[in-house]
Amino acid sequence: MQLLSVLKYRIFWVIICVLVTVNVQAQSEIAKELKADINRSAGMFYARPVGKMPKDTPAPKGKKPFYINHYGCPGSYYLDKKEYYTDTYATFAKADSLGKLTDFGKDVFRRIGLLYQDANGRFGELTAKGARQSRALMKQMVERFPDMFTPKGYYSVRSVVENRCILTMMESLLQLSSMQQPLVARSKASHQEKSFMDPEDKLLTSQRTDSLTMALYTRFSALNSNDGRLMGSLFNDQNYVITNIDAATLSKQLYILAGDVQHTDLAGQVTLYDIFTPEEVHRHWRKQNAWHYINYGGCTLNGGYQAYLQRAVLRNMIHMGDSMMSRYNPLMHLRFTHANVVMSLACLMELDDYGLHTANLDSLEAYGWANYRIAPLGGSIEMIHYRSERGDPDVLVKVLLNGHEARLPIETDCAPYYHWNDVKRYYLRKLYRYENRRFNFNVKRR
Amino acid sequence: MKTKIQYLIVILFTFILSLFTSLSLVAQPKVMQIIKETPSYASCNYHIYPDSITTPLTPSPEGKKPFYVSHYGRHGSRYISSRSGYDIPYMMMLHADSLDELTPAGRKVLHEMNLIMHDTEDRWGELTGYGKAQLQSIGRRMAENFPEVFRPGTKVTARSTIVSRCIESMGAATLEMLQVCPQLEISMQASQRNQWYMNHQDRKLRRGYMTPEAQKAYDSYIAHRMGNIRLMEMIFKNPDIVKEVVDEEQFSYYLMKMSLFQLNTNFNQNTHLMGLFHTDDLYLMWQIDNALWYIQHGACKLNGGRQPYSQRYLLRQMIADADSCIQLDQPTAQLRFGHETVLLPLVCLIGVNGYDLETDNLDELEERGWLCSSVFPMGCNLQFIFYRSNPKDQDVLFKVLLNEVEATLPLQPVSGPYYRWADFRQYCLDKLSNYK
Repeated sequence: MQLLSVLKYRIFWVIICVLVTVNVQAQSEIAKELKADINRSAGMFYARPVGKMPKDTPAPKGKKPFYINHYGCPGSYYLDKKEYYTDTYATFAKADSLGKLTDFGKDVFRRIGLLYQDANGRFGELTAKGARQSRALMKQMVERFPDMFTPKGYYSVRSVVENRCILTMMESLLQLSSMQQPLVARSKASHQEKSFMDPEDKLLTSQRTDSLTMALYTRFSALNSNDGRLMGSLFNDQNYVITNIDAATLSKQLYILAGDVQHTDLAGQVTLYDIFTPEEVHRHWRKQNAWHYINYGGCTLNGGYQAYLQRAVLRNMIHMGDSMMSRYNPLMHLRFTHANVVMSLACLMELDDYGLHTANLDSLEAYGWANYRIAPLGGSIEMIHYRSERGDPDVLVKVLLNGHEARLPIETDCAPYYHWNDVKRYYLRKLYRYENRRFNFNVKRR
Repeated sequence: MKTKIQYLIVILFTFILSLFTSLSLVAQPKVMQIIKETPSYASCNYHIYPDSITTPLTPSPEGKKPFYVSHYGRHGSRYISSRSGYDIPYMMMLHADSLDELTPAGRKVLHEMNLIMHDTEDRWGELTGYGKAQLQSIGRRMAENFPEVFRPGTKVTARSTIVSRCIESMGAATLEMLQVCPQLEISMQASQRNQWYMNHQDRKLRRGYMTPEAQKAYDSYIAHRMGNIRLMEMIFKNPDIVKEVVDEEQFSYYLMKMSLFQLNTNFNQNTHLMGLFHTDDLYLMWQIDNALWYIQHGACKLNGGRQPYSQRYLLRQMIADADSCIQLDQPTAQLRFGHETVLLPLVCLIGVNGYDLETDNLDELEERGWLCSSVFPMGCNLQFIFYRSNPKDQDVLFKVLLNEVEATLPLQPVSGPYYRWADFRQYCLDKLSNYK
């Protein structure tokens, strides 16, 4: 009996140890990535680097791409909430006028002034870097799939009605136009297509941040906040900080601004990351990541259905895949929409296990659910359809998430290629289950 | 004696009659004729940009080459900017229908209106396929007409207002330029930051355009031009009874607009309503609108003639941009994409083709050639083309193209359509500095 209890005790400890090491290893994975490029901590505001062209697994014999369905986020842009610039600037200006800034604080004030000046009047707009990034990404795509980009190819290009998305679309088109003459492209930015480009669902959005979720998030936030050191380095009078400064807000504003620098041409000359310790940046990122998980991912705190907001997008994607089967010539659907659409779509499609469902916000890192991996600025989901010839019953697809071959939650004998029929069946069933549940729920409520 | 007098009277009468007819022949045909051939001309700012421009351009002045293009253009064909314009006749129609006051013809009209409303839903103010095609052709022709400017490596700066149809227009034009010359270095921007000159709406000026004198002149001008009793009798069973819910003047005016605006779309274009109207109806509507546009944006004496100055910032900016681009050794192009409510006053301010016309008589507009539809159809544009022999050449000449046709300025030309930039610059700066 005693032996058993000792054994139990040991097993318990072994499990704990295993868990801890897994946790530590996984955490260090994220920490490593953040260390390698601190800009990643900007999360969904990370500017996706164009980088080297990823290697493609060769398609099964005889199969060639014939249709690309692309969903892209806007490229690098200035923060659209101008308060991040103006409020932060005002806080520092006031403290400066009262002589409450340390020398370091004064220098930070100067840098915020530069950022504000650079962004003033351009809030929410695509930056020059964003324009270059959009073109470079399109160039890479063309070079990667030469079969698709022939004079016979047809481009159907769509954007949601939002300045930066339309410009991202246009920059991509200009890149295409400079690479290919003649070009057959039809572009459109219309409210008419909102229903499958950026759908709305009032019921789901109303459930997003219910009081229980908020309570848990606030607690998670509090546990990951420690702004004393930062305030101490910026202000010379702690009494002033206590009475006049909302440390948590200011600290967040500075973190957001720090992540914004990479989108501007000030990058390389100015940084705000140096005011934080790596651990502080990591914490800020952790809070932001959890927030995005709650809002766009499969977080079970609020029911775990938020990603289903994009079900019309997924349904349209499947519908289009079927419609294109009988085409003779290659076709590209290039769509540009908001980053949160791409984020939720990736979660809904369970790409690379980002469909994760958990209520434990602390576990996100261990599971590798990191916003900058899923939907950074310039990020994209591309579904590429392959066939041997027109009428081929076994169409294959592969999905690229930010250019890398993604894993789908579906069995296959030729990963990363999946059989279209399996993919279609899996996703349609998934959507059907959700809609069925929601319909029944509505009936019961009545 | 009596017969002689009778004879004289007859002669006099025929003379007067012939005088009248000849007068009316002189006054009417031009615009009336245009509208007969191109009904869209009657819709003023919804007029469609000509498909192809065939007017030849004068060769470059001797020894000089184009080196800089400065452009302000309007977006291409769009859907009506808000649903309120369509709602006016639509709601009246629905109301009359609910009272069972529609004739069979009226019911057909309502059916077409339903289709139009359905097709336009969620597309208010958006660029149409036609609009894109217009801008593509304009961009292509610009690049083809001035290969000395649009050559590999040339920096093309494109700016647009923050309205999505303008951004798309900018994209359409520049995309086509790349088809002509793939090595152009094009940068695009659609920024709030440039709105102060790209789309300046002067509230103070705007508030004061309808002075009491202007209102009086306008009211008396439109008095006998509004309404269409023929239309009312065709659509409604009892025009007198529906008067309570249908305002004849508003109804016929906005229904005409609804049918004409359809010409700006290519998919789902519905021109069935066009058959309801005679050329005279369209012509009268055009007259009303032309007069209003003149009061709003022309140098109309009835309100002091200051309205064109709403574009003083844009003109200054264009001059400043030219000043700096002339300093460059390499050719450049600056394209700006905006709105007709900017381009019309700009044209009036500069005095292109005599559009700086100052008058207080609205009846004079037509005869003196102040025709708004010729200035600002969808896709309308103003291009300044600059010429010099080499970067050191101080004697910079330029010409103005209004909708891609060479235009005149209120100055002495050097030769043909070419004017001295320095003269024009001084003329504009003097004019602007006199504005208080």
